[in-house]
Amino acid sequence: MNFPALNKQFYHLVAPDIPNDWEVEELLEPYLDQSDEVCQEVFKCIPAIWPISTSLCCDFLRIIPETLKILPLSQLSSWVGEILDRYELDGLRAAQRFMRDVESGYMNRSNAGLVLLGEVEGRLLTFIRGVAGRDLLIAPGNAVFTDTETIFLPPELAVFSASADNILLYKLILAFQWAYIANGTFTLPDPIAQEPMVDSESSLWLNTFFASFPQPLFARDCYFFLETVRAARFLEQALPGLMRAWAKLPCFILPGAEDKNISPQAAVLSDLQSRFLNGSLLEAWQEEHLPVLRDYWRRLLGEGVNGKDSVEAVKAICAAQASHEAEGEEYEGITPLLFQGEIRLSAVEAVHRQRFLRQGEELVHSLALHLASLPKEQLEQLLRSEEEKENGATGLESDVTMIMDSEFAGTAAEPQAPLLITINNEEVQLSEEVAEQVRQFHDEFGHLPGRFLSSAVGRAGEGLAPDAHPGPEQGGELQAPICYDEWDHRRKGFRKNWCVVTIKELPDLRSGFIRQTLSKYHGVVNRLRHQFEMMRTSDRFARRQRDGDDIDLDALVESLADGRAGLPSSDRLFIKLLRDERDIAVVFLIDMSNSTAGWVGNAIKESLVLMTEALEVLGDRYAIYGFSGMRRTRCELFHIKEFDEPYGEPVRERIGAISPMEYTRMGPAIRHATSLLAKTDARVRLLITLTDGKPEDYDDYKGEYAIEDTRHALLEAKMAGIHPFCITIDHQAHDYMDHLYGPVNYIFVNDVRKLPLRMPEIYRVLTS
Amino acid sequence: MGGANIPLEEHRIVKKPYYLAQGSEVEIACAAYRSGLPLLLKGPTGCGKTRFMQYLAWKLDRPLITVSCHDDLSTSDLVGRYLIRAGEAVWMDGPLTLAVRAGAICYLDEVVEARKDTTVVIHPLADDRRELPIEKRGELLIAPPEFMLAVSYNPGYQSVLKDLKPSTRQRFVALSFNYPELEQEVDIVCQEGGLERDVALSLVKLAIMTRNLKDSGLPEGASTRLLIQAGKLIGDGVDIQTACRVAVVEPLSDDPEMLAAVEDMVGSLF
Repeated sequence: MNFPALNKQFYHLVAPDIPNDWEVEELLEPYLDQSDEVCQEVFKCIPAIWPISTSLCCDFLRIIPETLKILPLSQLSSWVGEILDRYELDGLRAAQRFMRDVESGYMNRSNAGLVLLGEVEGRLLTFIRGVAGRDLLIAPGNAVFTDTETIFLPPELAVFSASADNILLYKLILAFQWAYIANGTFTLPDPIAQEPMVDSESSLWLNTFFASFPQPLFARDCYFFLETVRAARFLEQALPGLMRAWAKLPCFILPGAEDKNISPQAAVLSDLQSRFLNGSLLEAWQEEHLPVLRDYWRRLLGEGVNGKDSVEAVKAICAAQASHEAEGEEYEGITPLLFQGEIRLSAVEAVHRQRFLRQGEELVHSLALHLASLPKEQLEQLLRSEEEKENGATGLESDVTMIMDSEFAGTAAEPQAPLLITINNEEVQLSEEVAEQVRQFHDEFGHLPGRFLSSAVGRAGEGLAPDAHPGPEQGGELQAPICYDEWDHRRKGFRKNWCVVTIKELPDLRSGFIRQTLSKYHGVVNRLRHQFEMMRTSDRFARRQRDGDDIDLDALVESLADGRAGLPSSDRLFIKLLRDERDIAVVFLIDMSNSTAGWVGNAIKESLVLMTEALEVLGDRYAIYGFSGMRRTRCELFHIKEFDEPYGEPVRERIGAISPMEYTRMGPAIRHATSLLAKTDARVRLLITLTDGKPEDYDDYKGEYAIEDTRHALLEAKMAGIHPFCITIDHQAHDYMDHLYGPVNYIFVNDVRKLPLRMPEIYRVLTS
Repeated sequence: MGGANIPLEEHRIVKKPYYLAQGSEVEIACAAYRSGLPLLLKGPTGCGKTRFMQYLAWKLDRPLITVSCHDDLSTSDLVGRYLIRAGEAVWMDGPLTLAVRAGAICYLDEVVEARKDTTVVIHPLADDRRELPIEKRGELLIAPPEFMLAVSYNPGYQSVLKDLKPSTRQRFVALSFNYPELEQEVDIVCQEGGLERDVALSLVKLAIMTRNLKDSGLPEGASTRLLIQAGKLIGDGVDIQTACRVAVVEPLSDDPEMLAAVEDMVGSLF
């Protein structure tokens, strides 16, 4: 290809940007020697990369002539897809690194059975939740560890050459981390203390334990190793199949084992590790001169051991190693086994603290509710004693004791026994639910801090208990943000978790809008109600059926007469009652972009008012959301009405409060509505979008990209069994709507003022 | 009397069905029978509701007439209707009428699947009146003391739309069924599936794992019935992994991710 042709094509592809001539010349020069086919394939990638990062695109063009010596042309587009994924995940540097490293990073790996966590995450999560019976989470991390709520896994595994083996390794990691959690490896309480004191402030006892040794790191690694052996034993019983499959796997290579400069302690541990892996731990420990370890091993195979035994064994090992401490290197830790991961007590502590606070808050809330429901005199008495306590010098916290009803103590019924609590010598009987909550809290954290009860009494006294949980603030978020993928047509792939959707409450606004609309359209509303009433579930009789509730006399007479006349008589002699139930769920998505300001917005609001009035008559399930936002990180959905919410004053006010906001990123809104509709079990599921223009956002979400993403979101909806429909007032709608919704699935309303009248009509035609 | 010629003896259960009581449900049901009270059985699918009814019918020595309810079930399907036979209108008793006449046990399985207006027909039978009006014949049937009405439903998966009306609910003695305790379930799978105890134990463990997935996308975990079916396949020589796949994993879901995860559990257990 000659240079001017290449040059022209390049400028065309990157338009409207106009890069410098000399830079382009430098970039394109190597391509003069390449074949046409190569040039075309490479140039096809430019529109996918350029809008995302120009410097990445330049780098890409520079590197390609070299890369193509290794990379087959057919794999180019999938390679580019991965580069862009890296860019979006970790930024420019990571993408550039990945791009340069095509040989080991992409080529070798792609045939080495690599498993990406993202691809198997759903499967692994379901697996571990089923196995563990609790809501554990999985997240990618730079190391394997768990904080007892989330298990962190490597983002990819390529240890073995078969992908099935790598998946097995993932499962093995999960199983071991679960075993630690289930065995209480991290949360071992002080074996000597009578009452385990675990509070939001106090740290885990294990920290104290490790710190009591001259080499805490060594003690920690010993303990963790013993716990791993214990976990393996536990898993052999719980998941024998998995452990058998593991035994068949090729042996792990132990990194660092060949290092000659390691300290004697590390040598001991890595020796144990390798013996553990090749199954010769038994012999090692039989010849072990430490009786504690021999005993540990014997009991591990027999009646089983617990965390306390591991602690004792660690003490013995450390004591035996103490003599070596003077000589050799300082112990600096060893590389843990891959499935073993790391022990991170600080993470466990953080989670523990959060749980304590969260559950404490819930407990205080329900206690306050319970106390507030007590007889007034008793509550006042409690409040008085609480005040005295505060004013007095003795102790800051209330005296709290939990008492089992003495009749039940020590019997089998003890766990179900009613619970009494005394607060400052005042006895309070707890309801079953609260008692259960108190019991759970006590079981998990070991005690019930008195200040919880103080604050519960306080809240109950303020009469605020029922509202102790603050409601969502006006304009605030209603639930945690949700991420949705976005379709990038240039790369024919999704941008993962690209858009962040937040559900928001509309600002509180009282207006006479609804009343005005209803009086303005008084006649229309009545007519609509009547029309929609006609569409309600209609029972009708079907005559001349083969089978039914009653005899169809007309048919019978006819049939008998036919018989007498020598004609074949019909056997369709029954009447059947047919009931066609409307089973429809519909989501209305309302465009709240700033272009709807003024009378367009008013028309949309008026149509919504009429629509809801009509729908209430009909009894179809419906939800209404407004959508707007700016950039992918702030796609906002405004809650107007949920499916199960009754139509009432709050909903009407919210319709009145609809106002123009920012941009129109349609894809995420449609995807969220799809997920809402997918949860309903209605036979007909409709998604009606009400808009005034093309999808468009502040960033590069415009033009073809926006249309293609919206189209893909609609395709996803259709695949989920949802019928999308669009009502638009955009005069240019015909240009793109055919492509988006298909020719019959949208309607263009010419005159905005007619929209309020047209909309219920459109709905009626759609659903009957 | 058109209906009277249906041989009731076919509905009599002669052989003692295997049933392992989970609690005092058998005693309660017998007491309800003596007092003429109707029964409401609720619980997940495949946990033994129908088997319990068979056992009860055998114990009480009454015929058991089972009606599987569906959303097209009409009042006539239960009470009866006129048919045309050789130019004559002949009355045909429905299963409910038949049971009332014969003093049998009428068991309406999955009663919430029936339309609400159909369910109302059992109201006069289910309270102290114990009578069944047959409007079309102008007849009022009084149930004999041997007659018993029982209905079942699964509160787990049905939607809110298909809930029992309070006026229906509040006529019944309700027995709640759930999957048996681990040991009991192992006994049941051993007995019914004809398995070794350790294999049965692993099967039950698998079922418990799938039941843990209730909030992770599986509407209902593997039932005892599925385990028994898997056991029968294993007993017939199908290898354990395959039997689990076809009898436990595949019937649970169509979602490939879920299937892979449950299959992983099978692989981890056996």
